Amino acid sequence: MTIQWDNNIIEVKLEGRIDSGNAASIEKEINDAMDGKTVSSIVIDAEGLEYISSAGLRIILRLRKAHPDLSIINTHSDVYEIFEMTGFTEMMKVDKAYRKVSVEGCEEIGRGANGRIYRIDKDNVVKIYNNPDALEDILHEREVARLALILGIPTAISYDVVKVGDRYGSVFELLNAKSFSKILQTEPSKLEWCVDEYVEMLKKIHSTEVPAGKLPDMRETVISWAKFMQDHLPEESAKKLMALVEAVPHDDHMIHGDYHTKNLELQDDEVLLIDMDTLAVGHPIFELGSIFNAYIGFSELDSEIIKKFQGIDSETAAKFWHMTLEKYLGTTDEEVIRSVEDKARIIGYTRLIRRSIRRGGLEDDARRAEIEHWKAELIDLLERTDTLMFDNRPEKQQSGKELDIEAVEENLSQVMAFVDGQLEAAGCSLKAQMQIDVAVEEIFVNICKYAYSPGKGRTLVRVEVTDEPVSVKITFIDHGKPYDPLKKDDPDVTLDASERPIGGLGIFLVKQTMDAVEYEYKNGSNILTLVKSI
Amino acid sequence: MLEISNKLEGSKLEFKLNGRLDTITAPQLEEEIKDNIGGVSELVFDFSDLSYISSAGLRVLLSAQKTMNQNGSMVVRNVSEAIQEIFDVTGFSDILTIE
Repeated sequence: MTIQWDNNIIEVKLEGRIDSGNAASIEKEINDAMDGKTVSSIVIDAEGLEYISSAGLRIILRLRKAHPDLSIINTHSDVYEIFEMTGFTEMMKVDKAYRKVSVEGCEEIGRGANGRIYRIDKDNVVKIYNNPDALEDILHEREVARLALILGIPTAISYDVVKVGDRYGSVFELLNAKSFSKILQTEPSKLEWCVDEYVEMLKKIHSTEVPAGKLPDMRETVISWAKFMQDHLPEESAKKLMALVEAVPHDDHMIHGDYHTKNLELQDDEVLLIDMDTLAVGHPIFELGSIFNAYIGFSELDSEIIKKFQGIDSETAAKFWHMTLEKYLGTTDEEVIRSVEDKARIIGYTRLIRRSIRRGGLEDDARRAEIEHWKAELIDLLERTDTLMFDNRPEKQQSGKELDIEAVEENLSQVMAFVDGQLEAAGCSLKAQMQIDVAVEEIFVNICKYAYSPGKGRTLVRVEVTDEPVSVKITFIDHGKPYDPLKKDDPDVTLDASERPIGGLGIFLVKQTMDAVEYEYKNGSNILTLVKSI
Repeated sequence: MLEISNKLEGSKLEFKLNGRLDTITAPQLEEEIKDNIGGVSELVFDFSDLSYISSAGLRVLLSAQKTMNQNGSMVVRNVSEAIQEIFDVTGFSDILTIE
């Protein structure tokens, strides 16, 4: 038997057989160890326990009398059966022993804030948590991954909890998947493609609305960072930082929180997001701050770091970050990109400084220099930044007018008002307007009903008018399930009323009245286009 | 939005619609029909103030037509040119009695 202390928690590792022969001496040893100490709770580690008789069970009952929250962990099935038979499993928390898995010699495919991910065989990966007491984290991650999946984000959900050494791990199925970091590393020519997919998924995450209270609010977290910084920045800068963060409005759209290319996997043709435990809601600037750190911040002063973490060199990382911003913001205007990057750097440096100080960075010369560098940058940025917000949907500035709206039927009249406004401005005939309205209603209601079911999401409606011939092009873009409404069979319009099925008419009407209807599924988006001369 | 008024004379029921018959308003009309159709052998829709109809509205009309095929007759009056076009494209012109 060994006894360990974790603050005021005593952990008793029982070994071998416990019966009337040794029970008394074991009990005495435990009581001696606790004598004169403050004990907040007792954890019995049954990993080495092979058998326990009623004499041993009575020890546990007596210990529990003084410490009602006593729990038993790592119980093998034989011993678990004894606990079950004697009703112990109903009286106290008894956890089973978890399957043991070794990751020795396995490829590390991901590394996040809270753990590392290894491939254990062709079809399975295990995420090992840094926190030795990670059961709660694992359950949390499973829950948020489930939520994300329901809301339309493709992800993997763990199906088993295992032990890897003294750490917990959760196991996911990930068939032949390849991380985007790996792709960048081995197929440099795919850089642009990787950026496209990466940004597509990022936009999908950021356009996903999360029901209230389901995920932590990143704004609160960043406010707590800003609070921490009050003691480490000149007064004026500290105040400005807090004011800037507090001015960011609450946002109930999803952010991943640790979005880098090791957490994005390509499985066959499907892009999957993994490492979901940092999922939160908040303004996208908070996400951009963490992406900045992943590609620039962490390795700004030591280019070896990016190689170690992402397997790519700092030049590729810088390019990737810049292209990501370009694509995400939908602009090549360097001034716009620079301004958003500066906002992201404010969040990024704040996090880096806090992280380093909390890890004892001030006590180490080299790391203190690093902190001073980040601080100087941060102070300078704070001086010339007036808001952390930015226009994260600048597609609006593309040709034509756009409406970005939640796809729910209650919004139909808003969509119609938007479309009709554009059509009237273009001098559309009443007849064509009616047919376009019917088509728009059909497509929008279809998206409301099917794209995100049973969850909710947004759609973009873009109206473009061209001159010769005068025609209107209306594009719907949603990030829901792939669904081609044009595949529906046409109804037989020659049947009389008693034979005609109710419904099935809408899409047919759209096809009949529009000059062209096209559907495409691209980069995780359903894109449906209507064209009609007016 | 849609305003629905109805007039019952003996077994003749007339609905006058004012506004738009779409996904949002079609269930209102469906409800109105359901509540008033009992004992009716002649159903009339006056579309003179109806500015718009979508497939959701067509569905309600088709279902009313099916009911009236068994119980009597149904007529749609004062159809605008734009709505007539929708009826033509969908074959509704052949199903409905349009005056």
